[in-house]
Amino acid sequence: MGFLKQDNFKRDVFLGIVVWLFLLLFFFIVPSAGIHDIIQKVFILGLFAMSLNILIGYLGLIAFGHAAFFAAGAYTLGLFLQSNVVNILGSLSIPIAIISAIFVSTVLAAFIGAICIRLKDIYFSFLTLAFQMLIYSIILALVNITGGDQGLMGGFPKPPFLGIDLGKPFDFYAFTIFISIITIILLRQLIESPFGYGLRMIRDNPERPAALGFNNQRHKLIAFIIAGSIAGLAGSLQALLDVGAYPEWAFWAKSAEPLFMILLGGMHSFLGPIMGAFIFEMLNDFVTANTRYYGLVLGLVILSFVLGLRRGLLDWLLIKFYRK
Amino acid sequence: MLKIHGISKSFGGINATNNVSIELKPNSINALIGPNGAGKTTIFNLITGKISVDKGKIFIGENNITNLKETVITHMGIARAFQITNIFPTLSVKESIKMALLAKTHGLNNMWDRFASHSVNEEADNIAKLAGLKKVYNTISSELSHGDQKLLDIALALALKPQVLLLDEPTAGMGPEERWEMIKRIKELWQKTKMTVLFIEHDMDIVFDIAQTIFVLQQGAIIAKGSPKEIKQNQAVIKAYLGGGKK
Ligand SMILES: Nc1ncnc2c1ncn2[C@@H]1O[C@H](COP(=O)(O)OP(=O)(O)OP(=O)(O)O)[C@@H](O)[C@H]1O
Ligand SMILES: [Mg+2]
Repeated sequence: MGFLKQDNFKRDVFLGIVVWLFLLLFFFIVPSAGIHDIIQKVFILGLFAMSLNILIGYLGLIAFGHAAFFAAGAYTLGLFLQSNVVNILGSLSIPIAIISAIFVSTVLAAFIGAICIRLKDIYFSFLTLAFQMLIYSIILALVNITGGDQGLMGGFPKPPFLGIDLGKPFDFYAFTIFISIITIILLRQLIESPFGYGLRMIRDNPERPAALGFNNQRHKLIAFIIAGSIAGLAGSLQALLDVGAYPEWAFWAKSAEPLFMILLGGMHSFLGPIMGAFIFEMLNDFVTANTRYYGLVLGLVILSFVLGLRRGLLDWLLIKFYRK
Repeated sequence: MLKIHGISKSFGGINATNNVSIELKPNSINALIGPNGAGKTTIFNLITGKISVDKGKIFIGENNITNLKETVITHMGIARAFQITNIFPTLSVKESIKMALLAKTHGLNNMWDRFASHSVNEEADNIAKLAGLKKVYNTISSELSHGDQKLLDIALALALKPQVLLLDEPTAGMGPEERWEMIKRIKELWQKTKMTVLFIEHDMDIVFDIAQTIFVLQQGAIIAKGSPKEIKQNQAVIKAYLGGGKK
């Protein structure tokens, strides 16, 4: 087991499989639909938050319109599965719907990114927000296609593929977590690759890289596109879970959610954002069940993290116990 | 090696660089001196493409590099260290040098290897030795002493294996002893690598000690150039620059 100490791709794949198998076992040990639902959501929102953290934590760019890509993924998947193509594709429908969702959010991110990354700091943040609100307006305006403010109603079929029937709770649970873990492993590889260190370099000192012959803009754009495509994947999984898509997913408040998760979990540890998603979901589920003051509680928790720990929980734990 | 033909640059109404011509021989070590605000750093910025030239031409070897992009000029063999240290605070010395090595070969597009185990480790080792940074190899840059930060800035430039190395006040902010140590190191580097070096320096003793050719800048214009001996005797320089009983 010596290779567990090494930070490499093989180890990550091994750990990923172990976590996945454990969670599958957990499904049967704790047969509570509510808890399974929370775990699925933690992974979906965790992907969303981790994708945003590529920009915030590693690149130092506060993107405030990330939900645009989440919504793009969700609506693409929903519209795809509602269309007649499903009759033709049959059992291939869901894989192709997910790939299409990723494709559309990738193209959207390429377009929005190419314009936004020219700007710095707050101007970058504002412009990403502006684009998101544009997407939001478009979703509301295209009532015939998107269902406007009602959202994508009427559900859609989920034809089984490779023996996986996403209509069954266990299949959905196993599939969602599997896809999330694969994505997380790939993201880990990206962040620890020379490319990933290029992001840190830009974050640390955006002026210097040009004097090393390094093109910041290109690097930033690629990172932006990757972040957008993972957010799109998260959106498509969310749409599969809810069998629909809603305009709120493109509203600015939806972009704030992954920001909160990053603040709660920590932006300087790789798994911080998913830890944040876990805290966020816990608060969401238990607090809303017991009080109406969800926003107040969330605000207080974030304040206590920011002022008390001065960082996200995982960042704090790693510094405290690991002296990283 | 590096040929500058009558370049000019003005900011608003100020002529920061006024018809400057400089030629550096291959494998030479040269100094650019002049009072504060004379336009020394501006010349470095013009050579490296950080800012655009208004008039004139710059060549490296036979290649015209006038107004090319900073990244392109860097790949053509010009590297610089900055007056105000310009490093990556959260990266270690080792990581920073590896980044520069990878930047040189476009290796930073690589998404499939792990940075930590990437093959440039040995090369980074050598650069660190060359720059005298081996003892702080794994230290985070922001925790380095000022002198080591200056050295790291130079090491980043060295990693690019440039033909021409531009050093903007490598001894700025150092005590006398540290200064001489730095200068010894630069001289050694130059002897070992046989790069063409142009450095900016305020300390005349240092300049006269190691520079083969000195360029004197005043208000954006070159008022004298020559060997240390010639510069010491140059009336214009004595009046304008050394004048008033330097040390
Ligand atoms: N980007 C810029 N925009 C406007 N003015 C500038 C710019 N860069 C330099 N200057 C001006 O050009 C002149 C020369 O500046 P420069 O930094 O080249 O001087 P220097 O010789 O390096 O001085 P020092 O010894 O203080 O480093 C100064 O008057 C400075 O204010
Ligand atoms: Mg200067």
